Amino acid sequence: MTDDNEPMTDGGTDEEARADGGPPATVPPDDETPTWSERKEHSQGLAQLTYQYFERSRREDEDLRAESTYVERDVLGFPAWPHETIRNLAITSFFVGMLIFIAALMPPHFGHPANPGSTPAIILPDWYLYWSFGLLKLNPLNPELAVLDGKILLGNEFLGIIAHGIVFGAIALVPFLNKGSARRPVEEPFWAAVGMTGVVLSLTLAALAIQNFFPFGLDLLITLTFLLPVLCGIITYAVLKTMREGYMYDLNRRYYMLRPPK
Amino acid sequence: MSLKKTDEMDHNAWLKKQDLTAIETAFLTTLIWVDKRLRIVDYLELLETMYYRANLQMPKSHTEQYDLDNKFWYWYPLYSLGSLSIIAYLVAAVSGAMLGFYYSPSTAGAAAQGDPTAAYDSVVLILKDVQFGFMLRSIHSWAAQFMVAAVFLHMLRVYFTGAYKEPREVNWILGVVLIGLTLFFGFSGYVLPWKQLSFWAAQIGVEMALATPIVGEWAAQLLFGGFTLGQATLVRMYILHVFVLPFVVTSLIALHVGIVWVQGIAEPH
Repeated sequence: MTDDNEPMTDGGTDEEARADGGPPATVPPDDETPTWSERKEHSQGLAQLTYQYFERSRREDEDLRAESTYVERDVLGFPAWPHETIRNLAITSFFVGMLIFIAALMPPHFGHPANPGSTPAIILPDWYLYWSFGLLKLNPLNPELAVLDGKILLGNEFLGIIAHGIVFGAIALVPFLNKGSARRPVEEPFWAAVGMTGVVLSLTLAALAIQNFFPFGLDLLITLTFLLPVLCGIITYAVLKTMREGYMYDLNRRYYMLRPPK
Repeated sequence: MSLKKTDEMDHNAWLKKQDLTAIETAFLTTLIWVDKRLRIVDYLELLETMYYRANLQMPKSHTEQYDLDNKFWYWYPLYSLGSLSIIAYLVAAVSGAMLGFYYSPSTAGAAAQGDPTAAYDSVVLILKDVQFGFMLRSIHSWAAQFMVAAVFLHMLRVYFTGAYKEPREVNWILGVVLIGLTLFFGFSGYVLPWKQLSFWAAQIGVEMALATPIVGEWAAQLLFGGFTLGQATLVRMYILHVFVLPFVVTSLIALHVGIVWVQGIAEPH
């Protein structure tokens, strides 16, 4: 990058002429633009602190850019026209087309008018709320949660609401529990297993919501509701661990083929 | 397997080294926290520079910045789930607006228990008399199903590719809120035709609200217009479904996408 500052024929430098968003994100300020330290001197208190922090922040970026081994290419972006536009149009048309096709093929059922006087035998929400409805049907577990004198601690409905709170709370907490820069499931088998447990749990809870459709007893169904997800999580963990070992084995083999042990 | 960050500047140590008041510390901590996630330094700097009329240049788009295309094209279907849910939302909005021309949120007209109400009759009108009305209701219903499905799958994609990590926690929580609102959107729409299942689904909703201690009765009043279902419930669900939720969800989606735009897509490496 040393020859970047050589003057070109028009008197500018390559650094200034670069338009592809290379290392300097902006054109360097000319003489009339106040520098950051000059701007900083005019202010005090919180504003000054802000500028001090931004100064460090900018320096951090510059250091990272200087250290990085990232190689610039001439064209970095995927052209918005026509490539991206056509791809998006294709995806959108296909999706909306499928939607209309299915809507024509399977129109939703329209039932009888509301009758507050007669409770239907089966009350069900739409499929996407089955898991939530399953959480409301956990009341057989309620006596087991009691600690003193076998008294039920919570009302049955309130148990279901607490279960909802736990589900949403656990999901919201995930980014604060799982840190680090790992991105692939193989890198963190444990968290992938937790994810699979959650997915299967939502399915088994949905099954619990439509419990009348299963030919076996409620006890077994509730046991399965919690057993299957854990089982699935364990299997996921084992598979991903094995895959990871496999990757490491390949890496090691390549390494030792290059550098055989003495 | 994981990349360890070694080149990070220790802003917190710098913060400790300085002799600051509590207000200044709180301010700087917040500033650093927000800036780490949203890099407001770039944008404030841009504004400042505009102010000083020195120069003006577009920042790199996130596709350029992260050189996305040759890295993740084969994952593209998974990465388009977010926009698919937006497309389904738009389809539902358009078809829903057209359904709204004919629907009336009223429980009037039932002589005895179990008779069709005005709301039910207006849906029957849409189904039987309105040109294309049967198809319109079908499209609206399926668009809602597609949206919820896409949103769920989108969450799974984000989870399993670890896209919720460090600078993106806020957007993950925003997404959790959006999923909850989407489900409530579906629920309120389910109630509107005032058919048998709508009524009893709303009944379960009221019972859930009433079972909550302290805020329960207040929530039942606010959302369902009372402890028993009736005209008030239907109107509240209607206003939530066609007025409140569209505004809230649309602006939250805009914020959600805006943050993705600013932070860039977190592709797996």
